[in-house]
Amino acid sequence: MKETPLSNCERDFLLKAIEEKKRLDGRQTYDYRTIKVTFGTDYGCCFVDLGKTRVMAQVSCEIVAPKESRPNEGIVFFNIELSPMASPTFEQGRQSELSVKLNRQLERCLRNSKCIDTESLCVVSGEKVWQIRVDVHVLNHDGNLMDASSIAAITALCHFRRPDVSTQGDEITVYSPEERDPIPLSVYHMPICVSFSFFQQGTYLLVDPCEREERVMDGLLMIAMNKHREICSIQSSGGIMLLKEQVMRCSKIASVKVSEITELVGKALENDRKARKAGEKCGFAESLPQERITALKTDKTPVEAMDVTEKVDDIIQKAEVPPLSVPSPSLPVPGVGQVGQNTWGLDEEEEEEEEGEEDRDSSGEEEEKGTKTQKEKDKDEVVELSDSEEEEVVILHPDT
Amino acid sequence: MEACSISNLKLREFGCEQSLLSRPDGSASFIQGDTSVCAGVYGPAEVKVSKEIYDRATLEVLIQPKVGLAGVRERSQEQCVRETCEASLLLSLHPRSSLTLVLQVIHDDGSLLSCFLNAACMALMDAGLPMSCLFCGVTCAISADGQIVTDPTAAQEKESRALMTFAIDSTERNILMSSTKGSFSVHELQQCIVVSQKASEKMFQFYRDSVKRRYSKYL
Amino acid sequence: MAGLELLSDQGYRLDGRKATEVRKVQARMGVFAQADGSAYLEQGNTKALAVVYGPHEMRGSRSRTLHDRAVINCQYSMATFSTAERKRRPHGDRKSTEMSLHLKQTFEAAVMTQLYPRSQIDIYVKILQSDGGNYSVCVNAATLAVIDAGIPMRDYVCACTVGFVDETPLADLCYAEESGGVSSLALALLPRGGQIALLQMDARLHQDHLEALIEAAMIACKGVSKVLDEVVRQHLQEVSMLTAE
Repeated sequence: MKETPLSNCERDFLLKAIEEKKRLDGRQTYDYRTIKVTFGTDYGCCFVDLGKTRVMAQVSCEIVAPKESRPNEGIVFFNIELSPMASPTFEQGRQSELSVKLNRQLERCLRNSKCIDTESLCVVSGEKVWQIRVDVHVLNHDGNLMDASSIAAITALCHFRRPDVSTQGDEITVYSPEERDPIPLSVYHMPICVSFSFFQQGTYLLVDPCEREERVMDGLLMIAMNKHREICSIQSSGGIMLLKEQVMRCSKIASVKVSEITELVGKALENDRKARKAGEKCGFAESLPQERITALKTDKTPVEAMDVTEKVDDIIQKAEVPPLSVPSPSLPVPGVGQVGQNTWGLDEEEEEEEEGEEDRDSSGEEEEKGTKTQKEKDKDEVVELSDSEEEEVVILHPDT
Repeated sequence: MEACSISNLKLREFGCEQSLLSRPDGSASFIQGDTSVCAGVYGPAEVKVSKEIYDRATLEVLIQPKVGLAGVRERSQEQCVRETCEASLLLSLHPRSSLTLVLQVIHDDGSLLSCFLNAACMALMDAGLPMSCLFCGVTCAISADGQIVTDPTAAQEKESRALMTFAIDSTERNILMSSTKGSFSVHELQQCIVVSQKASEKMFQFYRDSVKRRYSKYL
Repeated sequence: MAGLELLSDQGYRLDGRKATEVRKVQARMGVFAQADGSAYLEQGNTKALAVVYGPHEMRGSRSRTLHDRAVINCQYSMATFSTAERKRRPHGDRKSTEMSLHLKQTFEAAVMTQLYPRSQIDIYVKILQSDGGNYSVCVNAATLAVIDAGIPMRDYVCACTVGFVDETPLADLCYAEESGGVSSLALALLPRGGQIALLQMDARLHQDHLEALIEAAMIACKGVSKVLDEVVRQHLQEVSMLTAE
């Protein structure tokens, strides 16, 4: 769908408010929206809510052949799916500019910074390695998809457990989760992206823009850092011009925010680990907020099946008798391409000889009779089966 | 084949949340046991000229799997869901418009198609689209020893001899759509249909309860 | 990395340069007669060719016309023979699309697009030989091509890639240094105002070193801008001599 254009009054209102240091939702310039991290039932599934932006990440793994240039390293593959659910402008066919930008950003932030130990993913050097695939689905777009996706991706990677593998010579045995406990991935550090949006040719700066603010912004600066104050990636986009001092200021703000977010993520992972150890049921179902009136949950309910059998017999009896099936599927009606006499060689004499033999078809013949009476009249003209290719066939006359 | 034994039929615990996403016009997430699905609806909205129909709305259904790209299986499920929705929505009230329904798999633990149908119905309700009837999806599986199991888990589905999903409407409990896999007799089919109709009563009661709860502040 | 010492004790790099030295820049403008503007630039062993068409009427999707500015359309591609291993997909893959977007963003900041509403300016850049610093060389080549086309710009756009090794920033990385896992920062600068049009950094770098790195990049870019200025003036002299006769 085409994007609904932003009206001029809305644009002017937003810009004027930003000039007065006011934001639509009442935040301060450097404030993040509430971040909520929840986990799914299986390992490697996590949901991140950044205000109203909602993102889901799922990590999966499989054994593949490694790349030729790096035979003893595993492969990590990232993919951000902009689901059409997230915004009416997202279409099913991918490769829109935003999609390419987000994907490349996530790849650079997580892969180039080497946050995962890929050498530990090697099973048989040069032949078999683990390929870890991270799929991020954007469910609701209310601004700042990059931050939400990066938090979701790195949290899911920390949460994921891969199956245990043992090699004996050439054979590899992959153990299922019941046989041996799955192993977590070795994550060196957690890079998290922080986005800064610039307005009025770089005069005003906001952290974590919401969707409306993103529409009126001039440009975006994204800094990915980890809690050790190492910058993993910087990317400026949009047609803005920055000054060095602005970049330095942003990096200082980013380090503060990243340490807060890392703490939050760490706490969420810890809580989930404790809950799983204690054997509680985890998952999306459990995180359904019960206090809201838009949510409802029921327990297991039995289905009454008292009178099912009677009802079923009733229905079957009332149903029409289906037509009896014909034993032989080949009904030799005069062929479409047949012109004139059938000159294929079944002479009169041969037919008479064969008539004396065979009584195999008696039962078949009776059913045929039954079929004939039930079906339409034109089937009476069906040629007897004697025209078929089988030579043993004998036709008994109807009066026997 | 003989009649299956039907005893001990249960539906797993289910839950639903509506209006959980801010962008779509209607959204719902539906959970059956461990299977959960998120649905979002946009519409009625502008439609591309190539896809417009002069007297009805154009309904498009998109199913996104959790890992990887959508394939043939998702396409066939989309077809089933779309035909059910088209049977119950009053499309002729919005000619030359588009309705887009997007379903995202959150977790698959069996009975996925019926979960899609239930989430779709709740999302369409949440969006306020006019429908002639509500519908719900029920899955039945016939196990190897002839037992009928409603709302099977993924493990039960794998060991079943046949798997059937029915979409049932709310006004007359008719079957709007059926999708089956495996071999079974006519008698078994009829039994499953009647069982599904019984189970659908529970579902519709749940719909009624959740809507009542939602609008409890206004009533 | 085993073996290769990116910065020796005496302060010399792999190709004998000092840490702050930029590779030799050689450029020619007006290499294509047919295009509105074209330039060929060599920076060390990296060679790039840039061609500019425009401003002209919007081609393709009329719906993308902007009523108050020109649309800049960039395409970045690498020749299949530009790298050591033959490139199987020269354009259309994610990296090329991302590069094209970055180039577009850089030039939208520098070109005075308000002077040409409802028009389109096309910039095509092709890397003929890749030896590190692809983005920077493209930007430098494209700047010359835009000037050759006579399209007004706010300032020269100069770009440089710098890396950080042993607490020292290295200006203008070559391929061996880039692939050595060095943190690299690519910067596109408008030298007169010191404004950054694009900033891109990969790999881990401690926050305290960021300022020094950006400073080194800016100095290198200013050096490059002097060379580009020379090239433009020389080209103008040649052209005026030819037309005067």
